[in-house]
Amino acid sequence: MTDVIEITELHKNYGELQVLQGLSLRVAAGEVYGLLGPNGVGKSTLIHLMLGFLRPSRGRLRIFGDTNLERVLPRVGYIPERQRYHTRYTPREYLRFLGSFSGLAGAELHERVERELATVGLHDAAERNLGTFSKGMLQRLGVAQALLTDPDLLLIDEPTSGLDPAGQREVIELLAAVRDRGHTVFLCTHYLHEVELLCDRVGVLAGGRITTEAQVADLRDVAGSVRVQVGALSLEQRRHVEALGVGVRADAQSVRINPNTPALQAAVLRALLDAGVTILALEPLESPLERLYLQAISGKLAVAEPTVLPPAAWAAPFKGAPAAATSSADAHPGEGDTLLNELLGRTDDQEAGRRRQDAE
Amino acid sequence: MMRLLRFTGFTLLEYLRSGRVAIEIIAVMATYFVFLRRPMDAEYFFSVAGIFTPVLTLYTMAAFIGLGDRPQGYVLLSRGVGRATFLLGIFLAACTIVAGAYGLLCLITAVLNRPSDLDLLGWLLGTLPLLLNIGLLAALMLMLSPLVFPTSWRLVVLGLIAMAFSSNFIGGTLLQALPETLRSLLRALQALLGGPLVPAFYGFQLAITRDYSTPTAYANLLAQASLLVSLLGLALYAFSRRDLIFSSQ
Repeated sequence: MTDVIEITELHKNYGELQVLQGLSLRVAAGEVYGLLGPNGVGKSTLIHLMLGFLRPSRGRLRIFGDTNLERVLPRVGYIPERQRYHTRYTPREYLRFLGSFSGLAGAELHERVERELATVGLHDAAERNLGTFSKGMLQRLGVAQALLTDPDLLLIDEPTSGLDPAGQREVIELLAAVRDRGHTVFLCTHYLHEVELLCDRVGVLAGGRITTEAQVADLRDVAGSVRVQVGALSLEQRRHVEALGVGVRADAQSVRINPNTPALQAAVLRALLDAGVTILALEPLESPLERLYLQAISGKLAVAEPTVLPPAAWAAPFKGAPAAATSSADAHPGEGDTLLNELLGRTDDQEAGRRRQDAE
Repeated sequence: MMRLLRFTGFTLLEYLRSGRVAIEIIAVMATYFVFLRRPMDAEYFFSVAGIFTPVLTLYTMAAFIGLGDRPQGYVLLSRGVGRATFLLGIFLAACTIVAGAYGLLCLITAVLNRPSDLDLLGWLLGTLPLLLNIGLLAALMLMLSPLVFPTSWRLVVLGLIAMAFSSNFIGGTLLQALPETLRSLLRALQALLGGPLVPAFYGFQLAITRDYSTPTAYANLLAQASLLVSLLGLALYAFSRRDLIFSSQ
């Protein structure tokens, strides 16, 4: 397959601050690539470099084999991180303007605008002022404007940042539908589930470069540890379940399996079902992707070149991970501006490290 | 060209819908009622208009620069509005508003209190250098905005402008107190840096006198236009080269 994005040894500095330090990356045509990393690590900077808003300090960046990014921009759709659009317009007006800037006109412009309004479910709100839109609706508008020219490459920056859970779900479902159109997609996020749901391949950005890459399909392995939530467990049932393996611990409402294996998980579930226990939920406590991410950002997988690891490498129990880098982001959805954080050199893992030191 | 006109229209429409244009309309009304209701001749009218338009340009251009320096611009730039179109669109939209406000002031004056010695030709002859001055000031403001120049360069340019005007506050005894070498250097710098200001000041004078009997008047119009193109060209060049980091609001 042809590479749509080719980045070689890319450096980007803001004065003394080195954000990207020799980042190399390739994304093939039709691929959906997810870039994971804490806030402030350089994800938005990378997207802005790809769009030509920023100039590389060093290194090579090619989109569709061309280093002249302005020339390839008509083939690129961009969904920005924050829902920042010109709110004095209706969505229909706004899309018509954007379409005309992109060179669309007449019946084609009309048809594309109506089609994308329908795609993102904003047809009924097409005459409402954007100032009255929720963040979720604005992000759907963002998807519509990016699709307007039917781009070959979609650059998506933190698509669910700042959205409430319902808005996040809406946008993810929409992007899942969009990925089926066959665009090449480059998605930056710090939400692991977005990568699991949407991407073919994932890379982790840490220390200014991609430290780890993996096929998401390879990560769809059994979770390293799980919790089975049940209706109620008697003392005898608990003992019976715990006897199935040393990693099984049960209380009145749940059973934890850590470390988990497919066989052990099946045995526990079978035992619970045989005992007539109501199973309410099976929750992964640490997915392979989460393990990969945490290891990558803590530097345990930091190597000179991006490494694709076999699933077995992630199965080892992980110790010493930062205090849930993802959950710190989840706790403050949309807080701060990513590019600003990158300019100021603030990252979630730095913050987590500070908190760890404080706690110690 | 069509893209530039569309983007200018887009920016103008946003400004109009924001309601900020009320400030310009109020400024026009206030100027008319305070300064232009008395019996007056054309010279007085253009003196007032020659002060009103630069002051309004300062406000309006600042408002448009604020509109341009927002993260919303990233989407526009990703959708085919090139950097040059983006900057020129902001400039043209601001100039359109100021020129429109000037037009409104002229219209009100013509209807309610027309200077007896001012005909259409005289109005056109006085208006041309005024409009060029509006463009000059708007282009200078654009060039000095955070959109175009980083802070260090803005300070350098502002320093040069201050130097050009320094004869107003470094003169007389203060100038005499300086060592001869420094005095000569200062005079040379003032002359050199003050040069680009001449067309603007002479343009103001030309609007008032409307005296086109000498070639100097035409040369000045050309100088105003050339300076305007140079400032815009410099702004476009700097904007095309720099990292685009809009203010986060």
